[in-house]
Amino acid sequence: MSSRRSSRSRQSGSSRISDDQISDLVTKLQHLIPELRRRRSDKVSASKVLQETCNYIRNLHREVDDLSDRLSELLASTDDDSAEAAIIRSLLNY
Amino acid sequence: MVDSLFPSIETTVDDASPESRRKRRRISETAKETAESSEINQESLKRWRTNRVQQIYASKLVEALRRVRQRSNDGGKITSAAREIRDTADRVLAASARGTTRWSRAVLATRVRASLKKHKKAKLTGARKPRKDTAAERKRSKLPAVERKLKILGRLVPGCRKVTVPNLLDEATDYIAALEMQVRAMESLAELLAAAAPRSMLTRP
Repeated sequence: MSSRRSSRSRQSGSSRISDDQISDLVTKLQHLIPELRRRRSDKVSASKVLQETCNYIRNLHREVDDLSDRLSELLASTDDDSAEAAIIRSLLNY
Repeated sequence: MVDSLFPSIETTVDDASPESRRKRRRISETAKETAESSEINQESLKRWRTNRVQQIYASKLVEALRRVRQRSNDGGKITSAAREIRDTADRVLAASARGTTRWSRAVLATRVRASLKKHKKAKLTGARKPRKDTAAERKRSKLPAVERKLKILGRLVPGCRKVTVPNLLDEATDYIAALEMQVRAMESLAELLAAAAPRSMLTRP
C-alpha cells in the first residue's frame, strides 16, 4: 500500500504541489471542519482552510488534555470505591 | 465497488490506440485513487462516528486506566495523572485503528521508542536540531503560505511530516474524526464518573 503511494508522489513532484491536489484537499477539509461548514461559501481560500484545520486539531488536542485533567481528578476520587467502578463498567457495556 | 463510481472512464478503455489506452489507464488509476480516498474518508467517518465505537473505546480506556493505575501504584513512579491519562487515551485510540492508518502507527511507535529511550540517553534529539540553520531551510521559509500551512498540518498529524498531499488529507481526515470521538468518549466518561461520585465531589473544597 505504501509503495503505491510513494510512486504517486514521484509523479506529482517533490517541490511543486499541483493546484488540483490543493483544491481537492481544501474542498474535502472544508466539509470536516465545523467552522468552515457553517460558512458554506466557495470563496474560502486554501490558506484559510489549512489554518482552520490546524487550529481545529490543536483545539481537539487541548480538549483532550483538559478532559484528561478532569478525569484524573474524578478517577482519584472513585478509585477507592470499587462499587462505583463496577457501575461505570456496566453502564459502558450496554 | 470502485467501478460503479466511475462508469464512464471504465467503458472508454475499450477503444483507441495503445498510447491513449495507457493515458486512460493512468487517468482511471488516479480516478481510482480519488475514489479510494473518498471511500477512505467515508469509511473513517463511519469508523469513528458510531456510538458503538465510542462505547468500545470508552470501556477499553477505563480498563487501560485501571491497569496503568495498578502499575504506577506498585512501581511508585511519579508521573502526572493527567499526562498518564492523556497517553493512555492516545494509545487506546491508536490501537483502535488496528494499524490501518499512518498516524495510529506513529503514535504506537513513539511510545515504544520513548520507553526505550528511558534507558539510553537521548542523543538523537540533540543531533536533529542544527539542521534548521542551513541555506536550504532559509530558502524554504519563502514558500507560499499554503505550502507552509501544509507543513504545519503535517507536523500536527503524528507520523505525517513527509507524506504526499492526498495521503496527508486521508490521514488528517481520519485523525480528526478519531480525535472527535476521543473527546466525546472522554466527556461521557467524565460525566458518568461525576454522576457516580456525588459524595466525593461534595467534600471537595
